[in-house]
Amino acid sequence: MDAIEVEGLGKTYPKGTEALKDVSFKVARGSVFCLLGRNGAGKTTLLRILATQLRSTVGKARVLGFDVVKEPDKIRERISVVPQEARPFMMLSPYDHIYYMCKIRGMETEDAKKRTKEVMDELELWEHRKKLTADLSGGLRQRVIVGLALVTTPELIFLDEPSIGLDPLGRRVIWNIIRKMTKQGTTVLLTTHYMDEADALADKLLIIDKGRKVFFGTVEEAKHAAGTETKVLLERPGSTTHDREVLVPKSDQEMMEIIQRGLKEGKRVTFKPPSLDEAFIHFVGGSIEEETA
Amino acid sequence: MLDILPLLRDPMMMILLTMFSFMPVLFIVVFAGAGGMATQALIGAVVLSLFFGGIQVANSTYFNKHWFRFQDIYVASTISPISYVIGLSLATLIGSLPGVIIAIGFLVVSIPINPISFVLMIVISLILWVATLFLGFAIGSSVKDTRRANSIPQILGFFLGFLPPVYYPLDKLPSFLQPVMMLLPTTHGAQLAKYYLGMITIPDWQVLFGWVYLVVFMLLMALFSIKWSKWVDP
Repeated sequence: MDAIEVEGLGKTYPKGTEALKDVSFKVARGSVFCLLGRNGAGKTTLLRILATQLRSTVGKARVLGFDVVKEPDKIRERISVVPQEARPFMMLSPYDHIYYMCKIRGMETEDAKKRTKEVMDELELWEHRKKLTADLSGGLRQRVIVGLALVTTPELIFLDEPSIGLDPLGRRVIWNIIRKMTKQGTTVLLTTHYMDEADALADKLLIIDKGRKVFFGTVEEAKHAAGTETKVLLERPGSTTHDREVLVPKSDQEMMEIIQRGLKEGKRVTFKPPSLDEAFIHFVGGSIEEETA
Repeated sequence: MLDILPLLRDPMMMILLTMFSFMPVLFIVVFAGAGGMATQALIGAVVLSLFFGGIQVANSTYFNKHWFRFQDIYVASTISPISYVIGLSLATLIGSLPGVIIAIGFLVVSIPINPISFVLMIVISLILWVATLFLGFAIGSSVKDTRRANSIPQILGFFLGFLPPVYYPLDKLPSFLQPVMMLLPTTHGAQLAKYYLGMITIPDWQVLFGWVYLVVFMLLMALFSIKWSKWVDP
């Protein structure tokens, strides 16, 4: 059974804004599923419908085998959510947040204390446990919010831009947690604007634009479908960019020939792998052109 | 719990909140002296301390939903809307209690109070508190404009709390305004509390009407809340 099954899902808000149109996809259990799209593309709407926080208008969605409309309570027992732009209470400490979320989730006092320590250690927050969150940096505050979703061990976790505002090391802390969770069988639904994050983590991608699905598949499939290929750069050491050759080999044989030629000519050979950035712009680029036209 | 903790950790804030419902009492004592007017003002403070807490739940609900986004975290968990509502309500009750206790303390020192009158005054305060909680949840969970979320509770607090004759006697108002003020539930609450504590006399029918008015107001606010409060967004 898949973790998420979505069929023909659509959402029109009460004031008439059509945020999602006929979106269908499936997410395998224990995988990292990445939702990509521009601001306002419908990512958060889709995530909130699946997390039972928002009602859809048309279509069907099943999460962990349960219908999001008919059986929300069964889903809620098994999930955790990090909402987009959530903020901790400024006058409370990180410890307060995590500990009381453990209590709210029904843990006994001793278990709550133990779990709070584990979560704070994992997020490297323990040394800041007594400070007011008002005195923490934006990145540490964001880690507190992520910690709230980690107090239980969910079957599925929804992370809506969890690494926003984090420094590169902080992002890697979150990435490691995501990888660890998937090893333990948790499915992760992640929205992000960082393409390197999606590239590093995603087993499958869904790119949506203006509420419509424009791509569904793996990262490699996205790069291939967008026509982005590995580029080979040949340049003399110390030369200017004008002397640089950028070649796009069509086969492994051709790549070998380019490399051999470059080495014979005493040139430096470097590779530029296809990027998800380029693929993303390829898929949503149409709408950028429309807006600037 | 997360709502009341900042207050419990910050006694200065607690004192400030307590003083909020006492400000009219201070003015009345300064300008009218510590006589019957001051006692009526203290009764008003008891009746309205919980009421102001109830109104504040609109702010808490709104900011938990739209600013902190904690409501989304709670919705997608085992927490039920009922336990969320009870938690926020208890937070307002704990926050209001110091004010109520101090006002009762002054009242006990000022006038002799029989236990039944005391219980009836508390019941009146609780009815107004519950009614404003219902109203607060409906406003906080349905309003989407931050300016409105901030201003509506303040306006309600002014028009239902400070403006009507709760802290001061009804007969201080011009006669044409008195029936207008009797349209407000807080006026009825204050009149009943003052009546039970022997500060004013009102006819039996008005006592009965006051109770009916308060209970109907609470039920209407409950219906309003059921219709407008949102746990899952539509």
